[in-house]
Amino acid sequence: MLQLTIQIAVNGLTFGLIYILMALGFTLIFGIMRVVNFAHGEFYMVGAIGILLLFGTLGFNYYLSIVFAVLCVGLLGVIVERVLLRGFVGRELNSMIMALAVAITLQALAAILFGPQEQSVARPVTGVLQVAGVFIPRDRIVVGVIALAVLIAFYLFLRYARYGLAMRAVAQDPAAAALQGIRPGFIYSLAFGVGSLLAGLAGALMAPVYTISPFMGDVPMMMAFIVVILGGLGSIPGAVVGGLLLGFVESLFSTFFGSTIATMIAFGMVVLILLFKPSGLMGRAQ
Amino acid sequence: MRKSIQAGVIAVAGLAAFGSFQASADEVLTIGVVSALEGPGSEWGRGVDGGTRIAAKEINEAGGLTVNGTTYQIRVRSYDDGYAAARAVAAVTRLIEQDRVNFVLGPLGSGAALAVKPMYEEHGILALVNSYTPETLADNPQYTYRVLPTTAEYVGPIVGWINENHPDIQRVAIISPNDQTGWDSQKSQVATYEEFGYDIVGTELFERATRNFQPFVTRIMAQQPDLIELDTTPPGTAGLIIRQAREMGYQGMFSKIGGPGVPEIVDAAGKEFAEGTVVYVAADTENPKYAEMEEAYAEIYPPPMNAFNVFFYDAAHMLFEAMQRAGTVEDVEAVRAELLAMAPYEGMQGTLVWGGEELYGNNNQLQTPTFVGLIQDGKEVIVDRIAVE
Repeated sequence: MLQLTIQIAVNGLTFGLIYILMALGFTLIFGIMRVVNFAHGEFYMVGAIGILLLFGTLGFNYYLSIVFAVLCVGLLGVIVERVLLRGFVGRELNSMIMALAVAITLQALAAILFGPQEQSVARPVTGVLQVAGVFIPRDRIVVGVIALAVLIAFYLFLRYARYGLAMRAVAQDPAAAALQGIRPGFIYSLAFGVGSLLAGLAGALMAPVYTISPFMGDVPMMMAFIVVILGGLGSIPGAVVGGLLLGFVESLFSTFFGSTIATMIAFGMVVLILLFKPSGLMGRAQ
Repeated sequence: MRKSIQAGVIAVAGLAAFGSFQASADEVLTIGVVSALEGPGSEWGRGVDGGTRIAAKEINEAGGLTVNGTTYQIRVRSYDDGYAAARAVAAVTRLIEQDRVNFVLGPLGSGAALAVKPMYEEHGILALVNSYTPETLADNPQYTYRVLPTTAEYVGPIVGWINENHPDIQRVAIISPNDQTGWDSQKSQVATYEEFGYDIVGTELFERATRNFQPFVTRIMAQQPDLIELDTTPPGTAGLIIRQAREMGYQGMFSKIGGPGVPEIVDAAGKEFAEGTVVYVAADTENPKYAEMEEAYAEIYPPPMNAFNVFFYDAAHMLFEAMQRAGTVEDVEAVRAELLAMAPYEGMQGTLVWGGEELYGNNNQLQTPTFVGLIQDGKEVIVDRIAVE
């Protein structure tokens, strides 16, 4: 039983870290721009397609492929924000519809260019670490370590870097931030680029672990949504808490009752949070 | 100048008359095809059109189809249904109203097949279709026949093979997608494995979008199965389950008796983990005729050729021979009677017979030989060919 408990905890931690990566970008974009980015799952998919092309097809080094793919996704995010979403900052319904249109377009483009079927790339890391009867695939350890490193870097960026502080200032009060000489327009682009980059990173990391298809972003997007509702829309610490909570809940209930029940439980938590603490576990009341 | 124009006109008229005489030497027999030819589902759907066209081309090149003294050139009129019921209905309407066909191959897919089945029955159109739902053959249809086997047809022979060749296996877990296809096929798998005396230690359904099977696998492994049956799980997803289960320490066997797709399984699982998986093989690719068909298919559609071509190739040849035996291309009743009477039929895959009485209450299901495959060194290898009883 102890062995099973540890296995569930390890599984939950690895899921949780990926959910946090996804949710951080999603909540960052909402916190700063008030845009519910429904295309977030598609940025995850584009990151994975980048790995399919660079690592799977062209044979580049996996880690260099990750760097190149996520930078491209970040740049794509900046372009989408600047061209399609800038006009809707603060107008939640309009921006939501625009993001939905971007999501459907990216999905359809991927289906046309790469086909609707699932594809796989070789695994850059193979093997399993077995500790006290608990099995941890090495590729997931690598994913977990990279995700953790990026989370720490992201925290330090927001806490100490000039642009990180500027992002937090714009999130708190765009008008006051502008009075301090911060250009909100630039911060919007930066935030959307960084948010997309994080989603792309999650996709690039998971590409060799799972399969790659145009529709692969749907579930991570749904999970990111659950995480930010649990943690509080726009709250960075909330995304971390929500991601870990969802990871452990999913691992626990999937193991004992199956994935359908686990999804029901996750949405059940969302319902409870919306009923009794609509701002989320760590969110600020509006 | 005037004379040369007159001569030209006479020459053109003469050529036209000669041409029309040539055309009338062979009658044209039009048969319909309805299937997904472009977009999602077309990798399977083109098998209906490809197989039919290859069969028609072979007959046309051999001089045409001679029926009761008249030689026909076969023309295949194909419509794309986009793997959607509404478009299949529109396509069949055009085939009936405009093209005036009596014989249709397709559609492929349960939604489309169920949507057009009443049209075939009402208009007396002899149709050779493919779908996975048993509803296609429900209510004793008179004109609708299924020419591809479903899991209900091939699970029994393959489980029998496992039973004979791996007597050590006692405990079986079955994993299927959580939708109509998965529910139907899992029911059939459970019944068949139980029939062979296996202990079913777990039946799991998963959402098709699931990619993380670690908790799932942890739960299944707690039941200590000797064999995990992957049923109608899509091949890429099946590969993921195999990989994740092996990584979690699963040492038992895998089987996937529900649709082809070995390359996708191997890509997702890795060659080492996929080794030894028992699979359903739709068509005997070692048959020399298969390579010939692949060449012919490449002239119609871009490769690779799907195994479904083989079934519709055999079905089209059966239909044409039934017309010859009936001595008519108009009398659907006579052709239908001959089509049913001519089995057992020696097709490309082996001996084909009509059956299905026990499952569907009629014999509208074409039974084909079952090929048992194993994944060896990342490739599909046929280890047994089981003829229909």
